[in-house]
Amino acid sequence: MIRPILVRRDRVVPATQAVAFVVGIAAALALGLILLWTSGHNPAEVYERMFDSAFVGTDSLARTLERATPLALTGLAVAVAGSMGLWNIGAEGQMMAGATVATGVAMTADGLPGPLLIAVMVVAGVAGGMVLMLGPALARSHLGVSEIITTLMLVYVAIRVVEWLETGPWKDPASHGFAVIEPVPEQASLPGLFGRANVGTLIALGLLIVFSLAVSRTAWGYELRLSGSSPNTARYAGISLSRKVLTALLLSGGIAGLAGAVQLTGSATRLESGLSNGYGFAGIIVAALALMRPSGVAVAAVVFGGVQVGGQSIQTLGVSSAISDILQAMILFGALVAAVFFNYRVRWTGPAGESLVDEPEEADMAAEGA
Amino acid sequence: MSEAALVGLFVATVQFATLVFLAALGELIAERAGVLNLGVEGMMAMGAVSGFMVGLETGSPWAAFFAAAAVGALVGGLHAMVSVVLGADQVVSGLALTIGGLGLAAYVGRNVVGERPETQFTDLGIAGLADIRWFGDIFFDQPPVVYLTVLLGLAVWFVLARTRLGLALRAVGESAPTTDAVGHSVMALRAGAVMVGGAFAGAAGSFLSLYMAPGWTEGMVAGRGWIAVALVIFGAWRPGRLALGALLFGFTLALQPRLQSFDIEFLGVQVNRISPALLGILPFVLTVVVLVIISWRYRHRPSPAPAALGLPYRREER
Repeated sequence: MIRPILVRRDRVVPATQAVAFVVGIAAALALGLILLWTSGHNPAEVYERMFDSAFVGTDSLARTLERATPLALTGLAVAVAGSMGLWNIGAEGQMMAGATVATGVAMTADGLPGPLLIAVMVVAGVAGGMVLMLGPALARSHLGVSEIITTLMLVYVAIRVVEWLETGPWKDPASHGFAVIEPVPEQASLPGLFGRANVGTLIALGLLIVFSLAVSRTAWGYELRLSGSSPNTARYAGISLSRKVLTALLLSGGIAGLAGAVQLTGSATRLESGLSNGYGFAGIIVAALALMRPSGVAVAAVVFGGVQVGGQSIQTLGVSSAISDILQAMILFGALVAAVFFNYRVRWTGPAGESLVDEPEEADMAAEGA
Repeated sequence: MSEAALVGLFVATVQFATLVFLAALGELIAERAGVLNLGVEGMMAMGAVSGFMVGLETGSPWAAFFAAAAVGALVGGLHAMVSVVLGADQVVSGLALTIGGLGLAAYVGRNVVGERPETQFTDLGIAGLADIRWFGDIFFDQPPVVYLTVLLGLAVWFVLARTRLGLALRAVGESAPTTDAVGHSVMALRAGAVMVGGAFAGAAGSFLSLYMAPGWTEGMVAGRGWIAVALVIFGAWRPGRLALGALLFGFTLALQPRLQSFDIEFLGVQVNRISPALLGILPFVLTVVVLVIISWRYRHRPSPAPAALGLPYRREER
C-alpha cells in the first residue's frame, strides 16, 4: 500500500493565512452549494442575494458593519486571551454581563446627559464582563482550572440571569404584560454613521488598532506572547505567569463586556436575553481565523458580518438562516485544513504496510530513503 | 413533597445521568487516546436531529438510535480528519464542530420542528423486579438505552483496563512517539477513538430527542454536551468515577425543573418562589464549582489527565 505522510515545508508560502482564509470561504461556499442544491434551492440565486444584501450599496455595507462591530469586539476579546494561548470561549456570556451591568447603571443614572451616560455605561460594561470572568480567571491563574469549560459554563448562567431579570425584577411595568426590560434612556444611544451603522464601529476599530500596537509593539505585549509560547523562558525572565494569565483573561472579559455595552447603546434598544445573539461564539471563529492577531480580526469580522447579513436576507427566498452558521463553521474548517497544507507537503511513501493497526518498520525506512 | 414526586425525581435522575454519561463516556475514550474533542455539543445535536428524523421515517426507535450513533461517528470523523490526520489545533477544530454541528442540525431539522414521533422506546419493566416499591420504578422500569449505557460503561472500562487494545489506546494518550515506536498506528488508534466517541455522543443526543424530550427543537441539547466534557475531568478520566459524576449531575439536572414544586425553605428562601430561570443556572454553577474543587485537590499532585492530551502527533517531528 502506498501511504501519504505530511512533511513540513522548508519554505512557507508568505501571506498563508490570508490565502487559507480565502480557501476556507471557497470550501464553505462549495459545501453550501451542495446543501442548497440538494434541498431544492437555486444556489446562484441564493448566493447573489447574500452578496448583494451584504456588500452592494451603502445600506448593505452599513448593515454588515453593524454586525461586524460586535464580532470584531468579541473576536478581539478572544484574541487577547489567545495571544497568550488561553481560550476565552465565554465571550457570549461576558457580553451579556456587560450589557446587564450597563443597563443597571442606566436605570439609576438616567438623568445624566447623553455622552456622559454612554461613557459610564461603557465603563460599567467593561466591569460587568470582568466580573463574570473573575472566577474562571482566578481559577486558571491560581489552580490551573481549564478556562475553556468554566468560561463557557458561565454563558448559560449570564443568559439565564437576564431571562430572570426580564420576567421579574426588571420587568417593564409599561410593557402590557410582556416580559421585557424597559428600553435604555433615549439620550444613551450612540450617534449613527450612515444607514444602520453607528459610532460603535469606530470604537471597535479604535480598540483593534490600540491592541494591535500593544500586542505587537510594546514590552507588555511581548511578555504576553512570550508567556504563551514559552512559559519556561518567561519564568526565567522574571515574568509572573499567574499574573499574566489573570491580566489577559480579565482584559478579554472586559472587552467582551464592552461589546455588550456598545451593542446596548448601539443597535439594540434594550437588554434582552437574545442581545448577544451568538456574537460571542462567532467571535471565537473570527479570532481563530485571524490567528489571534487584531488586524486579522477586523477583516474576518467584516466577512462574517456579511455572511450573517446575507444569511438573514435569504430567508425571503425560503432558505433557513441556519445556513449562515454552517458557512461560518465551514470557513474555519476549510482555512484550518488549507493552513496545514501551506505548512506541510504530502509525500507518498513506498509500498509497505499491511494492516491499519500495525504499522511496519519499512514505512519508516522508505520515508527516510526517499 | 409526595412519595410519587420523590420517585419521579430519582427516575429522572437515572435518565439524565444516562444522557450525560453516554456522551461523557465517548469523550473519555477520545481523551484517553490523547484527543480533546470540544465538539460534543454539536455531535449530540446532530445525533438528536438525525435520530428523531430516522425515527419518524422508520417508526423504529432502535433504527433511529443506531442511525444517530452512525451520524455522530461521521461528525466525529471530521474532527479526526482535521485534528488527528492533519494535525490541526484540536481546540479550534472541536469548537468549529460544535458551532457547525449546531447550525447543520438546525438546518437539517427545520422541517420537523414540532412533529411528534409515533413510536418511542418503551420502559423495560424487568419481570419481578419492576414491582419492587420505589426501587422498581427507579432501577428496573427504565428504557432500554439506560441498561445499554450501563453495559457500555462496563465494556469501556474492561477494554481500557484489561485488553491490549485498551493498553494501546492509553499509551497513545500518554506518549504518541513511544506508541508509534512499538508499532501501533497512532492515527488509526486516535481517529478510531474519536469516531467511537462521536458515536456515543450521537447516540446520547438521540436518547434526548427520542425519549427524554420527544421531538426536535433548535438548542434542545442546551449545554449538556459541555457538561459531558466537564464530567470527564470530574471523573479523572476513569469510567467508574465518571459514573458517579454522572449520577451527581443527573440529580442536579433532574432536580432543577422540579424545585419549582417543592414547598421547602432553604437558607430563609422559599424555594418554590425562585424563578425557573435562576434555578436553570444550577447545573452550570455546579460544574464550575466542581472543577475548582477537583483542581484544588490535585494542586500538589500530578494531574490525572492523559499526558499527550491535546498534542497533535506528526511522525516527522518526532
